[in-house]
Amino acid sequence: MSFSASGLLLASLLYLILLFGIAWMTERGIVPRHWVRHPLVYTLSLGVYAGIWAVYAAVGMAAESGYGFLAYYLGISGAFLLAPVLLNPIMRIGRAYQLTSLADLFAYRYRSQWAGTLVTLCSGVAILALLSMQIQAVSTSASILAPETSPHLISFMFSLIVVLFAMLFGTRRNQDAENHPGLVLAIAFDSLVKLIALLVIGGAVLFGVFGGMGGLDVWLEGNTTPATTMSLSVDDGSWRALMLMSFAGAVVLPHMYHMTFSENPSPKALAKASWGLPLYLLFLGIPVPLILWGGQALGVTTGPNFYTLGIAQALESPALTLLMYIAGLSAASGLMIVSSLALAGMVLNHVVLPLKTPKDQGDIYRWLQWTKRLLIAAIILLALLFHETLGKNLDLSILGAISLSGTLQLLPGALGVIYWPEGNRRGLIAGLVAGLVIWVVTLVLPFSHTANLLEWLGAPLIPDYSNWHIFTFVSLTANVTVFALISVLSTSTNEETSAAEACSLGALSRPQRRELLASSSADFVRQMAEPLGLGVAKREVERALGQLKLPSVEYRPYQLRRLRDQVEINLSGLLGPSVARDMVKRHLGFKPMTRGGTAQDIRYVERALGDYQNRLTGLAGELDNLRRHYRQTLQNLPIPACSVGEDGEILMWNHAIEALTGITADDVVGARLMALPDHWHHLLDDFNSGEDLHRYKHRLDLKGRPHWLNLHKAALSGPDHPDGGSIILVEDQTEIRLLEDELMHSERLASVGRLAAGVAHEIGNPVTGISSLAQNLKLETDNPEILDTASQIQQQTRRISTILQSLMNFARTGNHAQVNRYEPVSIRRCVDESINLLSLSDKGLGIHYINDCPETLQILGDEQRLVQVFVNLLANARDASPEGGSIRVTGKDDDYSAIIEVVDQGSGIPSDQLDHVFEPFYTTKATNKGTGLGLSLVYSIVEEHYGNIQVESPAYPATGLGTCMRLKLPAYEPETDNSTTLPNERF
Amino acid sequence: MYIYRLVFLLVLAIYIFSPNILDWWTSPGNAWYSPFVVWAGLIAIGFWLEWRRDPNEF
Repeated sequence: MSFSASGLLLASLLYLILLFGIAWMTERGIVPRHWVRHPLVYTLSLGVYAGIWAVYAAVGMAAESGYGFLAYYLGISGAFLLAPVLLNPIMRIGRAYQLTSLADLFAYRYRSQWAGTLVTLCSGVAILALLSMQIQAVSTSASILAPETSPHLISFMFSLIVVLFAMLFGTRRNQDAENHPGLVLAIAFDSLVKLIALLVIGGAVLFGVFGGMGGLDVWLEGNTTPATTMSLSVDDGSWRALMLMSFAGAVVLPHMYHMTFSENPSPKALAKASWGLPLYLLFLGIPVPLILWGGQALGVTTGPNFYTLGIAQALESPALTLLMYIAGLSAASGLMIVSSLALAGMVLNHVVLPLKTPKDQGDIYRWLQWTKRLLIAAIILLALLFHETLGKNLDLSILGAISLSGTLQLLPGALGVIYWPEGNRRGLIAGLVAGLVIWVVTLVLPFSHTANLLEWLGAPLIPDYSNWHIFTFVSLTANVTVFALISVLSTSTNEETSAAEACSLGALSRPQRRELLASSSADFVRQMAEPLGLGVAKREVERALGQLKLPSVEYRPYQLRRLRDQVEINLSGLLGPSVARDMVKRHLGFKPMTRGGTAQDIRYVERALGDYQNRLTGLAGELDNLRRHYRQTLQNLPIPACSVGEDGEILMWNHAIEALTGITADDVVGARLMALPDHWHHLLDDFNSGEDLHRYKHRLDLKGRPHWLNLHKAALSGPDHPDGGSIILVEDQTEIRLLEDELMHSERLASVGRLAAGVAHEIGNPVTGISSLAQNLKLETDNPEILDTASQIQQQTRRISTILQSLMNFARTGNHAQVNRYEPVSIRRCVDESINLLSLSDKGLGIHYINDCPETLQILGDEQRLVQVFVNLLANARDASPEGGSIRVTGKDDDYSAIIEVVDQGSGIPSDQLDHVFEPFYTTKATNKGTGLGLSLVYSIVEEHYGNIQVESPAYPATGLGTCMRLKLPAYEPETDNSTTLPNERF
Repeated sequence: MYIYRLVFLLVLAIYIFSPNILDWWTSPGNAWYSPFVVWAGLIAIGFWLEWRRDPNEF
């Protein structure tokens, strides 16, 4: 049974158009996004690993070495089952630093452009053999089905379609999207077709050829030669080599790195794939023995590699034959597309860009896209050339062995990235060169029939199909030995050590806090415009700002350092880590260091530790808990505190200082002191840079009110902490200052009182003498003028006596001996008596006095003195009240206090005078109307009774009139009979 | 780091003895599919480990 060439070509085209359709629909968003991101799709897309091995070469290998073919599947299954310790760390690094290929990873970790370039060249040569293997499988399978077809034409047409597909769906302008969903779904579809085809042919053999499991067992019993029963003993050497290459393939094969890490939708998907891919490969492996036995039973003549096609032909099923052909085609196309795409990215980043950075391009994205497309085309056409000249003469399995043993040379370096921080670039490059030279001399040249140096030199062991694995191990051993030796003997640069720490398992990078030349994000755009052009620089800086959720204009040093890192990471995804690093280093430089070392970026480390929280276990977890405890202690300290780096950058800003200043930590941590509002900036900067360690009672006006602050400072440096900087405590002394003022006021009142009493006593005697002399004068004359003068003298001396009496009363403060004479006094009665006394005067006859005090309100005190209080208060109220006004006295019992209010309807007291009304001799009345002692006296008497007095004006805010004098005195509660219960009544 | 050294030793041991293990799987008397059954068992263990893993675990 054979097909026509055109029919085969048409079928191939239709299938590839179907792939195009799937990818196109996905890119257009017609296929739901959650389908594309489903772990199953991701796992199936990883099936690209199998390539045409699954459909053709595995059966060929099974015929030669029995179950040895499983090594190709078991190795990578082992790598995926070990994903948590092997693949997850690489994915973490790759995602954090946007490393899209193994060459990127090497260039980043070993800080060497040469490392990246060497990895690219090694992968390139190895991948050419792998691509040639795919082209060969497709052209041979087409030749089997349509013998008259030209294999060259088939190879060419197939390569061309693959180039088109990879160019269309592998490179896009949209740099924001990290992966290629269309490509992933198309590759997953490829893997599904491969699996279904193999299961179908396996089922067809089992039931169509052998008639079920029973028939197979009977056939196996009848054919007992090792070659037919697959009981061949596994060859230890080649099995181990294949296992190792397959294991390494998970990381070092460019297409596997691309699908596993670059197209990974989430860490969860990788966790599912850790058992999903081995399961997929298991299903691919089960039909292989059946196909082999089926081919042998049917006497198929195609050779074991192509038994799948031969069996389908022997069963005379065109549909099955076509399905097998399509399965091979899909396997080959999938691997070629992904490999060429991955390799093109590596060549672009590590060969093209280091040679020519696109400085003058208007649109760098477009330039990159087209360069990558050209590279894809060049790679596939090169593979076609390799196939036509050398590859087509080689066996599929030896092509695979050459390819995989070449990429195996990258395994030591890849493991070094996560497990060996001591490895350095010199060791890596020397080891790689040693391994690659041996690989080329002993495997590539002899098997490609180019040159067999070992044969010419008469070496005891000449490479052939049975001992290739020995040379694989020799090259790998040389690689590892040289890598280890040179790494141990040579020294690593600081930059390399820091990258090694960043890549090591569980390690944190410890960046230094250095000052950037750029002082704002706008400076970033200006500085990056030089290599990238203004438009691209602006877009990249804005993208990085958006990713970090920063405002569009950023000036804080800490955030600028984060921005610089993010710009480098983004450029790394675009241009590769080496070019990105050089560009950022050159154009976003740091200021020269002012001294030997710089401080660590505490905030950066803290943030990273915060991200690590769930991963820290054991001692590290305990230390982290301790760190959190101390951090919380500082944060919650009830004293405002902040710490400042040597360069004036704010490193810590606790809750209390947030409350005091009204500035949140998020706004200022990582910024310099100069970023604070002016008054705080001047205060803290001046204090921080000054010599004094303490500053007391510094006055600072905040929101129009004075605040008094004590500042204390201590240096942070010490034997365990070489970094400079200081911690500043800010004590708010405002409350204490106000209390002190109040105390001083009271003292002044008291001293004035004592002075007044002394003066009054001294003046009293002469005044009494004057009054007596005036009385005598009246008795000794009848002259009416002199009599009148004497009366006036007496009147004035009485007035002086009244004033003196008031002064004497005022001075009687704090006489606690009187407390014992205190008796319960009814406030209502006191107020009534005062009103009566005032009514005797001829002033204010039109004023209404209203006494609303309850009868029950009592305090313990001196009734006569309390009457004095109310007389003074009511007299003041009367003087201020308009004609016909009313004065109301109210009282209430408030817990243990009696609150008495005297409210008038007068003009009130101006607010600037409120603070002075209780001062002696302070009066607003006319000179001969008041002494200015009334309220001072009231104040003293109330204090004597352990109370206080407040004045409120205006009493009626709506009208702006009235004054309310509020007395608060301890209330007296008479003991009732109920409270004096006898002890025995309680029970 | 200690756990990773243990894993490394285990992987190395399995790798070195893998040909013998496969020979044991495919020894005469076993059904032809027995290597696949053992392989499926390994996958089941892998699935179980992944299923019970704390999502925050390293």
